[in-house]
Amino acid sequence: MTNSTPHTINIVAAALGGEGGGVFTNWIIDVAALNNWVCQTTSLAGVAQRTGATIYYIELIQNSGSESKPVMSLFPAQGDIDVVVTTEIAEAGRMMQRGFVSKDRTSVITSTHRVYGITEKIDLTDGTIDSQAILQIAQKYAKSLLSYDMASIASEHNSVISAVLFGALAGSDALPFPKTSYTQVIEQTGKSISTNLAAFEASYQTAKSHGVGHYSPTNSKEDRAAVKFQLPDTATQRGQPLLEQIRRLPEPAHHLAYLGTQRLIEYQDIRYATQYLNRLSEIAQLDVGDDTFDLTTDVARYLALWMSFEDIPRVAQQKIRTHRENSIREEVQAENGQIITVAEYFSPQLEEVCGMLPRRLGAWVLSYPINKIMAFFMGGRKLKTNTVSIFAVLRILASLRHIRRGSLGYHLEHKQIDNWLTAIIEYAPTNLEVAQELAKCGRMIKGYSHTRRRTTAQLASIISATSAETSALQISEWRTAALANDEDSQIVH
Amino acid sequence: MAERSFAKEVLKLEAGDGETVKGEGILAITKALLQSGVAYVGGYQGSPISHLMDVLNDAQDVLAELGVHFEATGSEATAAAMLSASINYPLRGAVTWKSTVGTNVASDALSNLASSGVVGGAMVIVGEDYGEGSSIMQERSYAFAMKAQMWLLDPRPNLTSIVDMVEKGFELSEASNTPIFYMMRIRGCHVTGEFTAKANRPPEYGKHNKVVPNREPEKIILPPNVYEHERIKIQDRWPAAVSFIHEHKLNEVFLGKHKQVGLITCGGSYNTLIRALERQGLADCYGNSDLPIYVLNVAYPLVPQEVAEFCRDKDQVLLFEEGQPEYIEQGLTTLLQRQGSTTRLFGKEILPRSGELTGQVTLLGLTRFLEGAVTQGLLPNLELLLSSTQIQAKADSLDPQDYDVLSLNVPPRPSGLCTGCPERPLFSAIKQVQQQLGPFHISSDIGCHSFATLEPFNLGNTIMGYGLSLASSSGIRDALPHKAISIMGDGGFWHNGLTSGVASAVFNNHDGLLIVINNGYSAATGGQDIPSLAKSGRLIASTIDSGQPHRSEHQSIEQACRGAGVKWIRTISTYDIDKMKATLVDALTTYQPGLKVIVAEGECMLNRQRRIKPIMNKAINTGKRTVRSRFYIDSETCTGDHACIRLSGCPSLTIKDNPDPLCIDPVSYVDNTCVGCGVCGENVHSAVLCPSFSKIDLLYNPHGWDRFIATARAKIINMLSPARTELPL
Repeated sequence: MTNSTPHTINIVAAALGGEGGGVFTNWIIDVAALNNWVCQTTSLAGVAQRTGATIYYIELIQNSGSESKPVMSLFPAQGDIDVVVTTEIAEAGRMMQRGFVSKDRTSVITSTHRVYGITEKIDLTDGTIDSQAILQIAQKYAKSLLSYDMASIASEHNSVISAVLFGALAGSDALPFPKTSYTQVIEQTGKSISTNLAAFEASYQTAKSHGVGHYSPTNSKEDRAAVKFQLPDTATQRGQPLLEQIRRLPEPAHHLAYLGTQRLIEYQDIRYATQYLNRLSEIAQLDVGDDTFDLTTDVARYLALWMSFEDIPRVAQQKIRTHRENSIREEVQAENGQIITVAEYFSPQLEEVCGMLPRRLGAWVLSYPINKIMAFFMGGRKLKTNTVSIFAVLRILASLRHIRRGSLGYHLEHKQIDNWLTAIIEYAPTNLEVAQELAKCGRMIKGYSHTRRRTTAQLASIISATSAETSALQISEWRTAALANDEDSQIVH
Repeated sequence: MAERSFAKEVLKLEAGDGETVKGEGILAITKALLQSGVAYVGGYQGSPISHLMDVLNDAQDVLAELGVHFEATGSEATAAAMLSASINYPLRGAVTWKSTVGTNVASDALSNLASSGVVGGAMVIVGEDYGEGSSIMQERSYAFAMKAQMWLLDPRPNLTSIVDMVEKGFELSEASNTPIFYMMRIRGCHVTGEFTAKANRPPEYGKHNKVVPNREPEKIILPPNVYEHERIKIQDRWPAAVSFIHEHKLNEVFLGKHKQVGLITCGGSYNTLIRALERQGLADCYGNSDLPIYVLNVAYPLVPQEVAEFCRDKDQVLLFEEGQPEYIEQGLTTLLQRQGSTTRLFGKEILPRSGELTGQVTLLGLTRFLEGAVTQGLLPNLELLLSSTQIQAKADSLDPQDYDVLSLNVPPRPSGLCTGCPERPLFSAIKQVQQQLGPFHISSDIGCHSFATLEPFNLGNTIMGYGLSLASSSGIRDALPHKAISIMGDGGFWHNGLTSGVASAVFNNHDGLLIVINNGYSAATGGQDIPSLAKSGRLIASTIDSGQPHRSEHQSIEQACRGAGVKWIRTISTYDIDKMKATLVDALTTYQPGLKVIVAEGECMLNRQRRIKPIMNKAINTGKRTVRSRFYIDSETCTGDHACIRLSGCPSLTIKDNPDPLCIDPVSYVDNTCVGCGVCGENVHSAVLCPSFSKIDLLYNPHGWDRFIATARAKIINMLSPARTELPL
């Protein structure tokens, strides 16, 4: 058989359920028809339906005009794909895993935005994948790579990602069809024509200006953390001593210490921030022999977060911030001047309420049957923060921060913070790695109510299990176990 | 109303002689049925033939005009039993379902149908749910054809062949008095293309022209008739089928210049084989091949004289057969041996014993076969473009290091419940009750709710079949430390669960809990209507087409259970998590004996949105005061623990980079696809999560009073707000 006969152009389009992969495929069928090409598509409708990943497979061939009909495959095959189009960057990775990207013939067109998978979302810390790593591999294996954030183009033009992908495909010149046939198809569809055309055009231009194969590596996940920070000059006289104290810390810790100081001044006052910097300096003096200064930076981060623990005044303070309404309006895409109502879901627990009482009183209430009566007033509350009365109540609750130092909650939190810092200080001189790992355990402290009790108890158990014989690796394993799931299981055996 | 509307496509079903029809495989089949003059059609939805049911449902005007009777049957068994209309009368009929699961359910009726035989063409269109995209265990329908002696068609996957084989299939059925399986693979169902139509043929008998009742007692499946039926199957019907297939050339032979070897394939795999040959430079894209190919458009029965003819001058033949066991290979081997043939047949010793015949698998198998033939000197001048090693390398093209990076960085995307799904709050509630009373062993069922066995709920131990969860609790229930828990959907309940589950459990004093999830539709298969179809004014609001005259009155799940003898029964909205938790605890701890049933109600959100969205948009556009709700997470109070996601898994509840540079972990975030179902808020309260969630009501077309209040509030709040203080740093 001679090789001069025409061959099909084979396209794999990978999408997530509900992203309009079907619409995109139908558009390609119509573009092909306008250019007198024959197009066959198949899909796996069963799996896409409910949020899973799926692929559409498309084959195109020029109409020969003869009687004989082309026989086209229903299966995408490894090494036989000309164009891979994906609506999301991780899906481009999946297509490479499946062998659909070959250096000798496959053009890859992908959006770089992320739609997080469930395993990424349920992680107790950060389970997100490194999309830059996928892009780098795509660059290596694709004949050409065209990648940009198509979701933001779609939202900018109030359109859908399928229209943006369509523009990318047209602009990539991967198919032998003129631009006008693409726009004609969108116009024929008769639905959301102007927004789809606008998104198509923006994407087409982006594709054109990038040129096929354009790729500029940006910072990977690790690199992003290492942004150079320059300590600013002080804004006020009162801030001067604090800044001096930060400046004496190892340089890698400056940024976090600066942010931590700001946070704690806002949380409480300058005195509280000084208290933070004093503790931090104590740690920094022991941080010798490792020029990363991980110990100081980790303590700078987690101590600031822990010291600004979320008690009732703190939450109230955050709910009445002046910039809050604007952030909400922006995120929910409220129209200009549109009236919105904000109903907060609070479920204060007895411990949290008692935490605000003076130390002895709070402990007494907690330990006596009176709490049964108190508990009656606890539980789920839906409060509208943009009504005057609720706002006023929150304003008063926020001002309780002035009596925070005498409260039971403050006492308990600081007892635990001391326990953590004491352990770090104990091991730092003899075994810096162990101290570093203990410092990293500060990441465990988060959440509210039950979650918070669990994580604090887990940290306490790690600290008490640590001895001179404990290895840094062991602590790291305990921490990993604690962060693996949210069951109250024994992590230290 | 189904998820996808074919209202536009069904117009194509009216195409007349010579018109070109473009569309998907299933549309072609529907058109072919009408061209064949069917008198009745029916079936049960399920991928990959859900859309066939949807097309039929949407085509009721066309069907009525022609006088074709249509039923959305209660189960595949119901559909199979419909075919008995063709036993005594020359009525052509077709039914459809997902296979092999549906064929399992239908088997009883099919066996009896095949035993009695038919005079009118009877066809079962099975959607072979095998390979990538499948949602069931991997088996073949082929076994059913063999055991019941029904013929199995497996046409080439282009629309012209698909239509042609439906028409020929009816003729074959009538010529051999045998019901037929017509097999459509997943991709074939959804393949697009075109064919030349013929005019529709109204059925001879039906509503407008009634039959004269005709009793043929010898066709009833009682002894001694059944012994005679078996004899007729083998001695009369089989030979009749074989000669019909041969005479009418239902199978196809494509000649090629390399006569020493040959390829045999089922019609469904033909296109993949041509592509493999093309990639080796042995065929062109129009199917002209250098190697002879015998295409079995009828996969069962085999035609001995055709096999003998094809193999006569061949040293070696390769059979492409998908799945296991290798029934066709066994059949061909027997035939060749009986014929004393010296042709060596290869099959599963070269091709994988299990799994789909994908492009890669087919190309590799073909190449291995040809390399062997070349080595043995059978094809001296043949040069392959790709060696089997090169082909293997195409599948493993990644460097090990890159492979590892991708393994770590490509997240799995299991199917999950949709945004706002009413089943989510139910599973949040069960998960919370499990923390209190657990761990649980749960018998799960078929339906969207089977996704609860995955992250983030991880609830459910076994799935035994559609509507079989309660039945599958019966053996284990005494051995469990808690009352047995079974979860079933409304689809499964009506399909099978009421009888094999509820009635049997009551009869056997089953002291356990059955949760029936009532979302108003057969949701997982694409939102088709079911007997307990949502009714207006109730918790599950009405569907758009519930007013259609062919729909019967609402059939209540609760009343059906009471009728079956259930005493303890509660109907609860799934969105009320606290109440659901309390009821679950009550059901699992009560001393009252007998089966406890909770009907967990909440309308399928996909259907609800399809219904509500146009109404809401219209209200907003016509200036009516309208409130739209959605949820919001305060990223300042969120500590990035994601406990809320672990209780929900809603697609719109996701994560984003933490805006606070002090914090490393991403914060939870509600994206703009949120439909404001309220589950997040309910979970915050019932699981005591955190104070980060709020419900935002966006008001459209406010009244004057709304504006007045809003302005006044804003002014006072502004005065109450803390003064912005500059930080000293």
